[in-house]
Amino acid sequence: MSAFVQRTDAPRAGVKGPAAAEWLATRGLPVPAKPNTWLPLAAGGVIGRLAYTEFFVEGDAAPDIEREASGAPAGVYPVLRRDLGLVLAGPAALDVLAQTCNVNFDALDLATRPLVMTSMVGVSVLVIPEQRDDGIAYRIWCDPTYGPYLARTLHAIAAEEDGGLAPARPPHASTISRGGP
Amino acid sequence: MKRLPFVPGEWIDRKTIHAFEFEGRTYAGFAGDTVTSALLASGVTVLGRSFKYHRPRSVLSFANHDVNVLVQSGPTPNVRADATPVADGMRLAAVNTHGGLARDHARWLDKLSAFLPVGFYYKAFHSKEWFPKWERMFRALTGLGRVDTAAPTRKTPKRYDFCDVLVIGAGPSGLAAALAAANAGASVVVADENAHAGGSGLYNLGGDRTTEARTLALLTAVAGHLRIRMLTGTTAAGYYADHWVPLVDATRLTKMRARAVIVATGAFEQPAVFRNNDLPGVMLASAAQRLIYRHALQPGARAVVVTANADGYRAALDLQAHGVTVAAVVDLRDAPSPGLAQRVGRHGTDLLPGHGVVEALGRQGVKGVRVAPLDSAGAPTGKARLYGCDLVLMSVGWAPAAAPLYQAGATMRYAERVHQFVPAAVPPGVFACGRVNGIHAYDARLLDGERAGMDAARHLGITVGEGPAVPVETEPASHPWPIFAHARGKNFVDFDEDLQLKDFHNAAQEGFDNIELLKRYTTVGMGPSQGKHSNMNAVRILARILGKPIGEVGTTTARPFFHPVPLSHLAGRAFHAERVTPLHERHVALGAKLMNAGVWLRPEYYDVPGQTRLEAIREEALAVRQGVGLIDVGTLGKIEIHGPQAAEFLERVYTGRFANMTVGTTRYGLMVDESGVVIDDGVIARLGERRWYFTTTTSGAATVYRELTRLNTMWRLACGIVNVTGHMAAMNLAGPKAREVLGALTASDVREAVFPYLAARELDIAGIPTRALRVGFVGELGYEIHVPADRAVELWDALMRAGASFGVRAFGVEAQRLLRLEKGHLIVGQDTDGLTTPFECGCAWAVKMDKPFFVGQRSLAIVAKRPRQMLVGFEPGEGADQVAECHLVIEQGDIAGRVTSIAWSPTLGRHIGLAMLRPDLAQPGGTFTIRVTDGSTVPARIVPAPFYDAEGRRLKMAEAA
Repeated sequence: MSAFVQRTDAPRAGVKGPAAAEWLATRGLPVPAKPNTWLPLAAGGVIGRLAYTEFFVEGDAAPDIEREASGAPAGVYPVLRRDLGLVLAGPAALDVLAQTCNVNFDALDLATRPLVMTSMVGVSVLVIPEQRDDGIAYRIWCDPTYGPYLARTLHAIAAEEDGGLAPARPPHASTISRGGP
Repeated sequence: MKRLPFVPGEWIDRKTIHAFEFEGRTYAGFAGDTVTSALLASGVTVLGRSFKYHRPRSVLSFANHDVNVLVQSGPTPNVRADATPVADGMRLAAVNTHGGLARDHARWLDKLSAFLPVGFYYKAFHSKEWFPKWERMFRALTGLGRVDTAAPTRKTPKRYDFCDVLVIGAGPSGLAAALAAANAGASVVVADENAHAGGSGLYNLGGDRTTEARTLALLTAVAGHLRIRMLTGTTAAGYYADHWVPLVDATRLTKMRARAVIVATGAFEQPAVFRNNDLPGVMLASAAQRLIYRHALQPGARAVVVTANADGYRAALDLQAHGVTVAAVVDLRDAPSPGLAQRVGRHGTDLLPGHGVVEALGRQGVKGVRVAPLDSAGAPTGKARLYGCDLVLMSVGWAPAAAPLYQAGATMRYAERVHQFVPAAVPPGVFACGRVNGIHAYDARLLDGERAGMDAARHLGITVGEGPAVPVETEPASHPWPIFAHARGKNFVDFDEDLQLKDFHNAAQEGFDNIELLKRYTTVGMGPSQGKHSNMNAVRILARILGKPIGEVGTTTARPFFHPVPLSHLAGRAFHAERVTPLHERHVALGAKLMNAGVWLRPEYYDVPGQTRLEAIREEALAVRQGVGLIDVGTLGKIEIHGPQAAEFLERVYTGRFANMTVGTTRYGLMVDESGVVIDDGVIARLGERRWYFTTTTSGAATVYRELTRLNTMWRLACGIVNVTGHMAAMNLAGPKAREVLGALTASDVREAVFPYLAARELDIAGIPTRALRVGFVGELGYEIHVPADRAVELWDALMRAGASFGVRAFGVEAQRLLRLEKGHLIVGQDTDGLTTPFECGCAWAVKMDKPFFVGQRSLAIVAKRPRQMLVGFEPGEGADQVAECHLVIEQGDIAGRVTSIAWSPTLGRHIGLAMLRPDLAQPGGTFTIRVTDGSTVPARIVPAPFYDAEGRRLKMAEAA
C-alpha cells in the first residue's frame, strides 16, 4: 500500500454574491447546479460551487475571472484565492484520509462530482475526488498559510505507508504559486 | 492448575514458546497464552495483591472485567494480565506490593482491617493536624503501577471509519445480528474485545460440543460475508451522539461512525458474596470455562460449584469433561435446572439444592468450602458441611454490559422475571440483543440477534420482514440474593477496593443510603474495574438495607470510557495546526527566533550574533525610531466588504463612524460584543464607494469573520464579506526613512501632502499592485502594505533592497510590542480582559454613542458611568526590573489591579507600563504598589500615555525639503 502527495500549481480565483452564478454563466463558464459539486472547465481546470452564492475556479480561466470580478456588477464580489493545492493519490490515499479527516470519502458517488468542504488535521479544506485511470486522486485546497503544515502532515502519514512512492521530502509549500493577473 | 492435552479450539500455539520474567523468575508460555494463563500453567497460584488489605489474589473473571491480576510490564504500568498476550522477553512484576508479591510487607494490613472501616480515609483527613501525615502514609502504601516518565513515546495514530451497522460483541447474538443485517444489505462491522470471536458460544458448552459447532458455523458465515468486517481485540470504549463509537485496539483508536448500533455486549458474570470469596482458586464459572477452552488449562483438581442458574451446571459439566472432580454443586435455588442437574449428578457429584456458602477456607489459596442449607431469608443455617477442594466456581448471576446503552440514552428497568436490568427504551438506531437484553438461552440469543439485525436494517430504510419471535426465558439466569453475611467478614463485594458486605451496612447507617452517595463513600465501582463485578451486588445490598425494590434503587451513571483507554491512544498523532506567512522562509534566512502566536509561527526577534535577546529587540526598536524597519504583519485578519450597504454594515458592527469616510482614507475601528466588552480592533480602509478593506487582530480574524457572517445572515444587508486573511500578505514599513524607501520603489507620489497619515492608496510598488495604508501602530511614519500572498516575497525583497542604504532592519513581534507601548497603544486581549469596555481602556473617543445603532451600544449606555477598572500608563520606581505582566496591584492588602504591559524603553531610557486599576486609584499622578514574583513590592506612579511623541508629530512627518 502506498500514497503520495503532490503540489499543484495553477491559477485560482473566486467570486461570491447573489449574482455570481449568473455572472459566471454569462462569461461562458459551466455553473454547477448544486452547492458542493464541481464541473470541469473546457480549457482545463475546475469550477466548484461552494455555496449557493460562492464559487471557486482553478485553471486558465482564473486570471480573467479575478480581474473582471473586480469590476463586476452589483451582487458579484471578487474573492482572492491563493490556496495551496495538493493531490493525494495512490492505493493508500483513502487510508491517509481516514487518519486525517472525518468524511467518508469512500461513500461518495463520484458520478455526481462531489466537492467536500471539511476540516483535515485542523485545517479547512476543499476536496474533490477525481476518478483517474490509475485510481481515485483527491485534489485538496487550503488557505496557503496552513499549506506547509498540511502538506508536511499528509506527506508524513503517506510516507508511513509502504511502497516508497512518497517523495523523500514534503512538497514545497511555503512559497505560494503565482496566480491571478 | 495444569495444562490439559490438546483442547479443540484452543487459542494457544503449542509449537511457539515465549520466555518471560515475573517477579524476578523466568517462566514459559505458549503463543496465544495471556500472561495469566501462562503463569497458571507454570504452577503460579498467587498472581497479585489486593488494593487495600494486600490479600493474595488470582483469577476472578479471566475476562478483563476485574483487576486481580495487574502487572507492571517494563515501563508500562497496570497491564491487565488476564487479557494481555504473553510475549518473549517480557519483564513483569505484580503492582501494589512492598518487597515483592510473595513477601509483600504490607500484607499485615489484612490483620488491621477492623481499624480500616469504610470511609476511614475521609475521616482521617478530617483533622488538619493529621492530614499531612495521613497523606504521606496513604501515598506510600497505595497506588498501582509506576509511571515511567522516560518511557519512549508510542505512536498511536487515530483514524475514522464508517459502516451502516456496528455490532458491539461477537458472541452468538452479535454474530446472528451481524448476519441478519448484512443479509439485508447493510455494511456491518463487528467489534469484540477478545482475541477471537465467538464469545460464550465457544466455551459455555456443558461438556457438549453441539453449541460450539453451531457457533463455528456462524463464524464461518460471518467470515465469508462480503459485507461484514470483524474487528477482534477491539473494545467499543464508549458511545457518543449520532452513533459515534470509539473503537480501541492495541495500536490505535478508531472513531467509528455508524448509522445504527447493535449492542450485543453480553453480561458480566457476578460473584457470590461469602467469606473468603477472594481466595485464589475461587473464581467465576465462566473464568474456568475460558481457561479450559481457550488456554487448555485445568483450573483445579477438585471443585465445588456454587450456582443459581443453568450456566453453573454447564460449567460443572465442562469441568467433569476435562478431568476435574466436581465434589458438589451448591444451588441457591430449591429447584435445580432440570436435565443439566441429572447429567452432573451422574459423575457422583453431590447436588445440594437450597444450599448456600458459609465460607471458603485457606490462606494462600482455597482448601475447602463450608456449605449449609438456606433459610427463608437466604441465609445459611444449621450444620455446615465441609468440602475439601482447590477450586470454587461461582455462577449465581449476570449484570448486563449495558454501558453503551446507558451512554446512548437508553432507559433500563429491573426485570423481576430474570432478576436483571434490561433495556426499557432505546434511542432510534440503537438496538440490544442477547444477554444484555435479558436473553440467556443459546437458541433464544440467536433469535434475538437475528431480530436486532433486522430491526437495524429496517432503521436504515431497508425493507425487511418481521424478525423472529424470541421465546421468554424459562428460568432466571441471576439470583436476587447471592450474598451471605458472616460475623468475621472478608466477604467481598468489590474486589478492586476490598469492600466487604459490612462496609455497605456501615455506609448506609452513616447516611449514605442513596446509590450515588453510597458509591462515592464506599468507592464501590470506582476502581479500575468500574463496577463490572460489584455494582449489581451493591445495588442488591442497598435495596435490601432500604427495603426497596431494586428498580427503585436504580444504578449509577455509566460514563465513557467503558474500559480504560491509554492516553497515547487519545493523543493519536497529536495534530497541532500551524500557520506561517508567505514570508516565513525569509524570516528563517534572517535568523528569526520564532514564537507561537496562537496558531501562527512568527518572528519574535532576529538573532544577531553576539547580542542577547533583549539587546536584539531593543536594537530593532531603535532602528525603527531612528531609521526604518520592516515587519511582517501578515497574521492580521484581513477582510473585504463589498456592496451598496457595506458602510451601513460597518456602522453597525464597529463603535465608530464610517459612512462619512471619503475614498482613500482609513479609520481606527473598535468592536465590542453585545455586553459592550472590547473584542477586537483594527484599521478600516475605504477603497471605493462600495468597497472596503479592514484588518482585525491576529487572534480575532476567524472569530470576527464568523461573527460578521452571522450578523449579516440576520440583517440581510446588500453586501458581501470576504475573508482574505491567508490569501493576502502584509508588511509594515515604519520609521522616519520609510517614505524614502517607498519612494524609491514607486512612481506614485507618496509625499505627505498627497499620501498623508491615515490615507489608503492602491499603488504599484516595485511593479506589484498593493494596498498601502498610512497607519501608526508603532508610532512612526509608516506604511502598512498589503499584497496578494503570491507576491509577498517579491515585495519584501524589494523593500529590503531599497532600504539597505537606509539601514533597514527587519523587526519582530517583541520590538513591535515595545514600540506600540511607548506610543501607549493597547493590544486587545493583553491590555483588556473579558470585561473591559472602551470607556475603561482609553477608547471612549472611538465610540460614537450618537449613532442610531451598533452592536453593544445599549450595554455601553448603561455601563458608561460605572467603570469597573481603568487602564493607565505608569512608571515603576525602585525594583522596576522585577515587574512583569500580570503582576498584581495591591492596595491595603486587596487586589486592586494588574500590570498589563511593561518594558524598558531604549528610546526613553526608563521602564514604562500599562496597568488596569480600580477607578479610585486611577488618578493622574497617583501612586500604587505592585507585588512582584518574590512577594516584595514595587512602587509605581501614574503618568500620561502616550509616553512617546504624545502630539503624534512623527506619524505625520513631512519629507525633508
